[in-house]
Amino acid sequence: MTSLRVAVDIGGTFTDLQILDEATGVAHAHKVPTTPTDPSEGLITGIREACERLGVGPETVRAILHGTTIATNAVLQRRLPDGALITTAGFTDVLEIGRHVRKHVYANRAEPRALLVPRSRRFGVVERVRADGSVETALDEASVRAAAERVKASGATAVAIAFLHAYANPAHELRAAEIVQQVLPDAFVSCSHQVSPEIREFERTSTTVLNALLMPVVKTYLSKLRARLADAGLAAPVYLVQSNGGVTTPEIAGEQPARLLLSGPSGGARAAEVLAAELAEPNLIAVDMGGTSYDVSIVHDGAIRLVTQGDVDGLPVRLPMIEIRTIGAGGGSIAKVDGTGRLLVGPDSAGAVPGPVCYRRGGEEPTVTDANVALGRIDPGYFLGGAMDLDVDGAKRALAERVAAPLGLEPGPAAEGVVAVATAHMAAAIRLSLFEKGLDPKDFALISFGGAGGLHACDTAAEIGTGRVVFPRDPGTLSAWGMLFGDVVHDLARSRLLKADASAVPVLETALAELRAEAEDLLARDGIDPADRAFPVTLDLRYPGQAYEIGVTLAGVDGLAPDALNAAVAAFHDAHERQYAHAERHIVPEIVTVRMAATGRLTRPGERPFDAAAGGAAKGTRRIRIAGGERDAAVWERAAIGTDVTVDGPAIVEEPHSTLLVPPGWRLVAHPTGALIATCEGL
Amino acid sequence: MDALNPIPLGPIQVEIIRNAFVAAAEEMSVTVWRTSRSAVVREILDYSCCIFDAKGRSTAQSAAMPVHLNSMPACLEEILASHIPLEEWHEGDIVITNDPYAGGQHLPDIQTFKPVFLDGRLIAIAGILVHHLDVGGGAAGSYDASATEIYQEGFRIPPLKLAEGGRRNEAVIKLLLRNSREPVNVGGDFASQLAALDTGVANLQRLGRRYGADTLAAAAERIQAQSEAAMRATIAQIPDGTYAFEDFVDDDGIERDRPLRIHVALTVKGEEVLIDLSGSAEQAVGPVNCTLNMTRSAVVCGVMMALGSEVPANAGCYRPVTVTAPEGLVVNARSPAPVANRMATGHRIVTTVLGAFAQAMPGKVPAAYYGVSYAYALNCFLEDGRRQVYFDLECGGWGAHPEEDGASGFSCGFHNIANAPVEMLENTLPLTFVEYGLVPDSGGRGRTRGGLGLARAFRLDAREGRFAANLERFKFAPYGLAGGEAGRPGRLTVTRAGTGTSEELPSKVGGLKVARGDVLRLQTAGGGGYGDPAERAPAAVERDRAEGYTSAG
Repeated sequence: MTSLRVAVDIGGTFTDLQILDEATGVAHAHKVPTTPTDPSEGLITGIREACERLGVGPETVRAILHGTTIATNAVLQRRLPDGALITTAGFTDVLEIGRHVRKHVYANRAEPRALLVPRSRRFGVVERVRADGSVETALDEASVRAAAERVKASGATAVAIAFLHAYANPAHELRAAEIVQQVLPDAFVSCSHQVSPEIREFERTSTTVLNALLMPVVKTYLSKLRARLADAGLAAPVYLVQSNGGVTTPEIAGEQPARLLLSGPSGGARAAEVLAAELAEPNLIAVDMGGTSYDVSIVHDGAIRLVTQGDVDGLPVRLPMIEIRTIGAGGGSIAKVDGTGRLLVGPDSAGAVPGPVCYRRGGEEPTVTDANVALGRIDPGYFLGGAMDLDVDGAKRALAERVAAPLGLEPGPAAEGVVAVATAHMAAAIRLSLFEKGLDPKDFALISFGGAGGLHACDTAAEIGTGRVVFPRDPGTLSAWGMLFGDVVHDLARSRLLKADASAVPVLETALAELRAEAEDLLARDGIDPADRAFPVTLDLRYPGQAYEIGVTLAGVDGLAPDALNAAVAAFHDAHERQYAHAERHIVPEIVTVRMAATGRLTRPGERPFDAAAGGAAKGTRRIRIAGGERDAAVWERAAIGTDVTVDGPAIVEEPHSTLLVPPGWRLVAHPTGALIATCEGL
Repeated sequence: MDALNPIPLGPIQVEIIRNAFVAAAEEMSVTVWRTSRSAVVREILDYSCCIFDAKGRSTAQSAAMPVHLNSMPACLEEILASHIPLEEWHEGDIVITNDPYAGGQHLPDIQTFKPVFLDGRLIAIAGILVHHLDVGGGAAGSYDASATEIYQEGFRIPPLKLAEGGRRNEAVIKLLLRNSREPVNVGGDFASQLAALDTGVANLQRLGRRYGADTLAAAAERIQAQSEAAMRATIAQIPDGTYAFEDFVDDDGIERDRPLRIHVALTVKGEEVLIDLSGSAEQAVGPVNCTLNMTRSAVVCGVMMALGSEVPANAGCYRPVTVTAPEGLVVNARSPAPVANRMATGHRIVTTVLGAFAQAMPGKVPAAYYGVSYAYALNCFLEDGRRQVYFDLECGGWGAHPEEDGASGFSCGFHNIANAPVEMLENTLPLTFVEYGLVPDSGGRGRTRGGLGLARAFRLDAREGRFAANLERFKFAPYGLAGGEAGRPGRLTVTRAGTGTSEELPSKVGGLKVARGDVLRLQTAGGGGYGDPAERAPAAVERDRAEGYTSAG
């Protein structure tokens, strides 16, 4: 009997699906419009349509992998309940003070700082744990009860509890949570040691507050989703995609919703990792260019990189997540000339509404998309497969008036300039992403997806100094396809500041045993067969006093192998040398955090069939402006490009949701798996 | 040499090269941040990176610390003019100094510069300034509040070549580390600083190959000219005239009854401004003196805050600004006056310059921010005889802007610092923190309210310690404007474990003996208010009370 796994990626405009037949390993793409008021509606429509297309019933769906921006959007749009925060007395303002460093150096007005729990709903209680976990002042339960009563009086429904050094000893937080639940049985309560058991009070508190406020949001959404699925005859379990690229159950997601923040781009990053193996390109720079933002992630030696912290709206989220650098550069980025005669492109964006001038939705400021239209690189009659008729004259007029005239340039060079400045920003973001890891762009290929990326990928690659660009298949549903490769992952951690030598072994062994027990328990609850469980361990190490740590693998799944710690320390010195050009091998590093990624392996999709001998030809030519002049570019339909074809630039390749530009000097061929590969000699 | 892909220098190319210069500075900054050792650098972010053109003029900076950003260009200028002329800079050289009387500001700030050569031609200079944890001298952190000569303030490095032709003179580093109380931390930070210079050099060489040395040089000229033009255009809008303002430094810590006057006569004439500090106090006995470069740096910061916060900062910004400060004043001290706590006066120059601009441009400039880097250090003596230094910096409340309340507990003005997490400090030092929070009622009242100051209190858990502090704004509060009230001044107290008694300390403390269990508490100043408090919106008054920003009374 057929058994399907469905991955759903809900974006602003479209809900993208990938449907995996678990028996054959074949995955199918499907796309439906997003239903913004209740995203689960579009999700169910999509699954129903896909089942109909495959001629099977909803009962064949065995699992649903759900990527969602519900948590992120709730934070960005402040659709959050009133929350309260209970902290160690004397430290209630830590959340408001933050790290108190500003971004704008010469500002005479401070930049706005997000504050999710006001001072009047932050309460201190008498207790104190020391850095080593010992108790300096016992928890004064009466003060907790008093605080809980004040929370109740304030009307707050979500409560974050974050005590100093709770990562080292959670007893006080646990007891305080019990008391708060007694006083407020219906409140959503989050403890910092459960959400983000890591040192640094502001970052941990911020993450815990976000988590508490998101609990009702995510729980409500998930219970609605469950009811809708049941109505639709879909009994399959749902897994939510997390920021770390793995998936988790609705039960865990409801308790730990902060783990869904920043999960949006993780599917695409995961897809890049899979493609790295498929294409035998172990080093990939994955770039996703949409209307307003540009996401960069790095696959190095075949693996995507995880980091331990990110942020949403300037608020730190201290949780493991796929490393993604986002800048404000997209098709909708606005080009303008400032008072000093500088051409600025982004980060302001026209978004989808009003959008670029050429969309005819009232946009008046020229954007990167308008520049591409003016340059002839986008076919005004074939945008979104011809669904939108673009206003070429409007785009040209806006560029002439607002960019060319103030700069004293001709319209053509001005439009090219807008694209060049946008490309420079994107290239700088990529370089910084590689650079901070000590990596060289020359060792990487660029993989481009997202609606707006294809026109800029080759130029961006040239700018950073690599002559190899990959255009994956189904770029519009790539993120959903990547989700199919997510395993069930629970990130567990213990912060223990220890010297990384033999003296640390007993403490580490205890921590590992605790983590392992917790991991087994969680995976058992997920119904993961013991044979499919894995428990990779990493240690965050640093030289004493350093601000940031490097994660290295600690071998030894069952207990600590005798030389494992020494091997991890050696790996740390090597990584430090590679990343920072110096290592101090005579210094014993510190362990800051020990992490376990409790993993339940799910079956993976197989290869996607590709009609390698498409045997097509160019569908025509178009006059475009490129490299300072007008040129005739061959125009191809992507489906016509098989392995038997070579496309030399300048050329344009069109597919329904994106357009690819092959600049002069570049050559494009199809890989046997269906990806297109563009190369440029001499870069 | 021919570039790989030569392009004519139009406005597009200038913008692209500007971004590349800024990215080069940022990439250096990332290297320092990720690899440094001590809390000063790792958590407080007390360092800056700068890209100079082939003539040594600043072209791009990684946004961080105004005091440094304006310091490095002046320092390099002085090195080139008086110590190591440009023709003596060769490939693989590194020039180093921390000498306040040779272009520096105070001894913990070690500046390093490395020339960038492409095919034998100098195309740029990369510069990094790092505040090091301890360079010796009379007190931990090299902040000796009782110093009366620079010789008491630590190890002094005149401008010299730390490396020549790629060969590093390790003896200089050994000497430095032998003189530091924190050789491991300082050694680690120093290694970071040098590694980051190399990343800057490699990056600038890449840009040189990409665009060609001539194009790069021309772009640097244009980038500076654009900033200069923007500053001139802004200045031209201010009515010509002379505007005076004065503010005071509490004292120098030695002559405690002598406030130090800072006086600014701001003359606006067409597109240029003249800042005349001749009316300021004689130089101080204690270490609150500024060298002329320090004063210039503070003036530029005030001017940028008043006029040009959106203008890309580089050498062009400084050109329409002339500074007059006669030698022998606290704003241009004569050697060997001590300078460790030059920030006390530096911040005051910034607030005075801002006050003068507030006269010239009413309704555009905010009231005074807290105006001090709350620098303090506790040297902890452990049971086993080891010593550990806790050094920290704090901030306070912003002055009220004519259109909005000042920010509370947020870095402002001349410095820009992150706080060190209490949990990190307690993990590595024999300290227990008892409080870190906002101070209600500390923001000056007004139509818009000043931001609140902070309180930070900690207990010593080691056998004994020596505490030093270089603070300010205990006597002269951050001023209000247009009828707004001043912010509440700061204070410092020690509560003795033995007796339970509390003692108010002065703003400058040198070598105070601290015993186990004693608690030190710093309270920083709030910002000044703007406009008549009676005109404050009732809803805002009510919200302040509800949130506890003001007390119920």
